[in-house]
Amino acid sequence: MMERKETMTDRERVEAILQRKKPDRVPIWPFAFAGFATVYTGTSIADAYNKPKVAYEAQKKTCEDFGWVFTPMFGYAAYGGWEFGGEIKWPSGEFAQAPTVTRHPVETEEDVWKLQKPEVSTAGIIPLMTDFYKIAANEQLDNEPFNVLAWSLGAFNTAGMIASVDKMCKWVIKKPDVAHRLLSLAADHSIDLTDHWHTLFGVKGVLPFTGEAVATGQIISAKQFEDFVLPYFMKVHGYILSLGYEHIYCHQCGEQNANLEHWAKIPYGKPGIISIGHEVELETAGRYYPNDVIMGNLEPAIIQNQTPDEVYEATKKNVLDGMTKCPGGYVFSPGCELPPMAPVENVKAMSQAVADYGWYD
Amino acid sequence: MATEERTKEILKGLHDSVYEFEEDDAVKWAKTALEEGVDPFVATMEGIAEGMIAAGEAYNEKKYFVPELLMCADALYAGLDILKPAIEASGRQAEVKGSIVLGVVEGDVHDIGKNLVKMMFEVAGWTVYDLGKDVPLDKFVEEQIKTDAEVVGLSALMTTSMLAMPVVIEKLRAKNPKVRILLGGAPVNPEVAEKYGADGYAKTAGTAVDEAINLLKVLKEEELGE
Repeated sequence: MMERKETMTDRERVEAILQRKKPDRVPIWPFAFAGFATVYTGTSIADAYNKPKVAYEAQKKTCEDFGWVFTPMFGYAAYGGWEFGGEIKWPSGEFAQAPTVTRHPVETEEDVWKLQKPEVSTAGIIPLMTDFYKIAANEQLDNEPFNVLAWSLGAFNTAGMIASVDKMCKWVIKKPDVAHRLLSLAADHSIDLTDHWHTLFGVKGVLPFTGEAVATGQIISAKQFEDFVLPYFMKVHGYILSLGYEHIYCHQCGEQNANLEHWAKIPYGKPGIISIGHEVELETAGRYYPNDVIMGNLEPAIIQNQTPDEVYEATKKNVLDGMTKCPGGYVFSPGCELPPMAPVENVKAMSQAVADYGWYD
Repeated sequence: MATEERTKEILKGLHDSVYEFEEDDAVKWAKTALEEGVDPFVATMEGIAEGMIAAGEAYNEKKYFVPELLMCADALYAGLDILKPAIEASGRQAEVKGSIVLGVVEGDVHDIGKNLVKMMFEVAGWTVYDLGKDVPLDKFVEEQIKTDAEVVGLSALMTTSMLAMPVVIEKLRAKNPKVRILLGGAPVNPEVAEKYGADGYAKTAGTAVDEAINLLKVLKEEELGE
């Protein structure tokens, strides 16, 4: 391919897209905030979750080396269990990817009624997250459109970690009042967490992040999503935007096709940044979110398991689809976390395909 | 002794109480079955098991989701708790359709899918050796050898833990080339299953049993051809 001359930094690219202007080329926002960065830089996956300084430097170096957008982020999908009084295990061994809950703080319905929101500044991983974001807030590089990704997760995701996903699923049917009580606590905690980030870092340079990996079509129905997920996202996102944040970056993990009509009712800012899993086509997302920036869809398993040529081709398709089928803007990203053990040659092939095909002129 | 008509009514009550996840009704109908002399084996296989099979079909058709299936399972096991001792006392044994070692591989604790798969196999008349979650890789091999199970089912939800699958497959093949290996879990797809050297892939809990039956069919055809 012909060598193209870049006329923007990654920060300028993302800023242009958020101002609804065309950048010189598609930016790569790699969803590589955790394990891949620490493995690539020679430390451990656990360091991505419990050593803020190491995690920050790993993300920074990885993004520099590969030519990616750097959006420092710190958090984990099993968030909620530890923060509300349970226990977690850090990832260890050859095959673990992230912290997991080893003791849920809630066992019974009675526990739910007794449960209180935690003190936000000291709960679970929050002190580590705070340390990480304090480091991140101290510099804003040319590849950083935002230097703090203010983390929170969807109420259903958090509630599933507080009580276990099995119990939440059963309460959705058998004890909806119990499910709603837990979801309300989880959503109120997200608001507390938002306030925590707002107090520490303000609005400028801060991008609120929300995500949901439990309330997927693999687990619950669209009707259950409407009743037990939508109201809490409406509440939390409404609150985030009321503080003056212009954009919310929302990762809608997994199978969400049947839920898109509900997801699309949620406010995400002007524009929002919507991250989709490989189960949702970019064209579909573009239809549901015509005014928002879309990222995602490339299947992480492809990056992990296929050959560099196959990764290159899959990325090329993603880029060509994204540039033409997402009217609100497009950023390249995998459909979920970049696999921590992804072969570096595959990751290079992914980046190369964007560099070859992601030009707008 | 219940009449044929009454037996049908009781079996329908058992079926519906599982399908409609009415745990108390499942207990009530199971007790009624025993009180009125319905063969507990028939009550189990043609009542509650059929209800669970129907629930599995509803799941495949996306009428039911995990919450409904989990509730159906609670009703199923509530009914079984009543009927199982009576079956054991009768000495009657169900025809075993096959046997499977199941587990979530080392490094992964996400077991909802595996548990649903386990239930569907049990309902379908298979013997299930459930190793649980975060299972050390050699344990799959040891259990397969110990039980001589025809199929081993491996589950993973993470892109790191899926990397344990080809390692287990290699270990299993080294000890028993004939064992059939079935993969499932969110990051797995048919291409990954093939690349890792598995024999089959189940997209959902509802399709796992059919996939395993197909694997056994091929295995038996191969054995006949030898």
